[in-house]
Amino acid sequence: MSTYQIPLGPVHAVLEEPIYFQLTVAEDKVTGVEIFAGYVHRGIEFLAMQRNIYQNITLTERVCSLCSNNHPFTYCMAVEKIAGITIPPRAAYLRIIADESKRIASHLFNTGMLAHLAGAEDLFRQVMEIREVMQDLKEAVYGNRMNLSANCVGGVRYDLSAEQIKFMRESLNKIKKPVEEVTWCYRTEAAFRARTEGIGILPPAVAAACGVVGPVARGSGLAYDVRVDNPYAAYGELTVNAVVEQHGDVAARAMVRLQEIMASVDLLEQALSRLPDGPVCLPYMPEIPAGQTMAKSEAPRGELVYYLRTDGTDIPQRLKWRVPTYQNWEALPVMLANSKVADVPLIISSIDPCVSCTDR
Amino acid sequence: MLGKELWETLNVRLAAILDGKDDEGRWETDDKGVTYGWFRLTAQKDILPVAKVVAGLGGRVMAITAAQAGHGLTQGVEIAYHFAIGVINCTFSTVLTDPQREAVSITPILRSADWHEREMQELYDVKVLDHPNPRRLFIDAGQQMADNLLVPLSTAMDDSCTTRLWERIMQAQAGSGEEKK
Repeated sequence: MSTYQIPLGPVHAVLEEPIYFQLTVAEDKVTGVEIFAGYVHRGIEFLAMQRNIYQNITLTERVCSLCSNNHPFTYCMAVEKIAGITIPPRAAYLRIIADESKRIASHLFNTGMLAHLAGAEDLFRQVMEIREVMQDLKEAVYGNRMNLSANCVGGVRYDLSAEQIKFMRESLNKIKKPVEEVTWCYRTEAAFRARTEGIGILPPAVAAACGVVGPVARGSGLAYDVRVDNPYAAYGELTVNAVVEQHGDVAARAMVRLQEIMASVDLLEQALSRLPDGPVCLPYMPEIPAGQTMAKSEAPRGELVYYLRTDGTDIPQRLKWRVPTYQNWEALPVMLANSKVADVPLIISSIDPCVSCTDR
Repeated sequence: MLGKELWETLNVRLAAILDGKDDEGRWETDDKGVTYGWFRLTAQKDILPVAKVVAGLGGRVMAITAAQAGHGLTQGVEIAYHFAIGVINCTFSTVLTDPQREAVSITPILRSADWHEREMQELYDVKVLDHPNPRRLFIDAGQQMADNLLVPLSTAMDDSCTTRLWERIMQAQAGSGEEKK
């Protein structure tokens, strides 16, 4: 049987960001894939070592837009660990509130795109309409729809008034029923199920070997969630409903994200109702001593890891981060093996890839 | 295995490898109860038995950090391997003092190290030995642009490129118009 190669990308209608896939195809089945990254490599880790510790909060928020809050959040946690800072309890809750708001919007974006790629345009529009509620929430509370600028070393840069809390609760109430409705559609629509069930399977053993994280891991039955297994901020004080699916296909990964939206709504309601009184950040800018540490958080796409080493000056000696997508690429060739060419965009989208994060 | 049992098993197996050679090795637990281990290896090849212990306990590579000498670091390139074994995190650091900058690959043992080692090879000029897929990770202009199959985004979005494209179209149109005349 003769094989041929299909170039997908680096700029292509089915890709949200530039990355190149060289697909080897026999008839209409994928037999091999090579991934070429680096089209939006910006050298941000290098830039971070030219800026001071406080300037890097702004820089890390610009690694990526969809999980932008997790980068400064995790970076600040690393700095605080080295400095031995415990942030005020209210700040820990406010960090969670910002993060879960971003998670809902991110998961809605991915599940919406999945519907679009599967040809379910009505579902796509419905999901994106729900997402607009969260975008409006972020704009109203943080002043921006994507980059929230919520974090600072020692706490957060925003507070919530009683009126804003009421508005957030109303917004969350507004999305509950529509999210349940679209989840039902994803679960039952015959046309959507035909495009997503049994497609792009990642077996649990391979998922574990590749070290995949986030909804990709949880869609293959690996129950790892940083919020539960390595708690941070105030997650240890809240009930996190970790979602796990077993089938390891495109549908399973979508179902994990859809259920995690409701889990995030629940977390937000818990955090808003238990929000402690008190300050939201330290009243001073602490000096950061020499040291090395790691900090982790659960970004919308999975475990985000920051490694920071300082030498007592205000310039980091080394700042390194590993984004969830970086780990998940390794599993993509397994998911694509023997899939139909027509399913390739759906399978790629099902890992919710973030190329900006990968390239840095 | 639960956290404490896993930690005890890991400690016993690591002790056999480190054999008292790392006086500064330590475990620390943060204020949320999360465990992080910090260890130093005298030779980079000692990472192989560590990787086998991690793999044997179902662990994975979280990240690999290469750091250039300078800014007060020791000579050469420092490599920090960050592992996750269940809920336990640990980092093993080693310094490549050899100007050849050679490091044995742990990807044959832990597949999750694949991209990290390839990136280290590319951005920090570390020669990773025995890597099963040492192909460049990020684009290589010299190698991959040769067949005009790939167009980098910067080129695709370059104004001058776009101008050239439209200039050619306009010239072609003008040419066909002249022919009609």
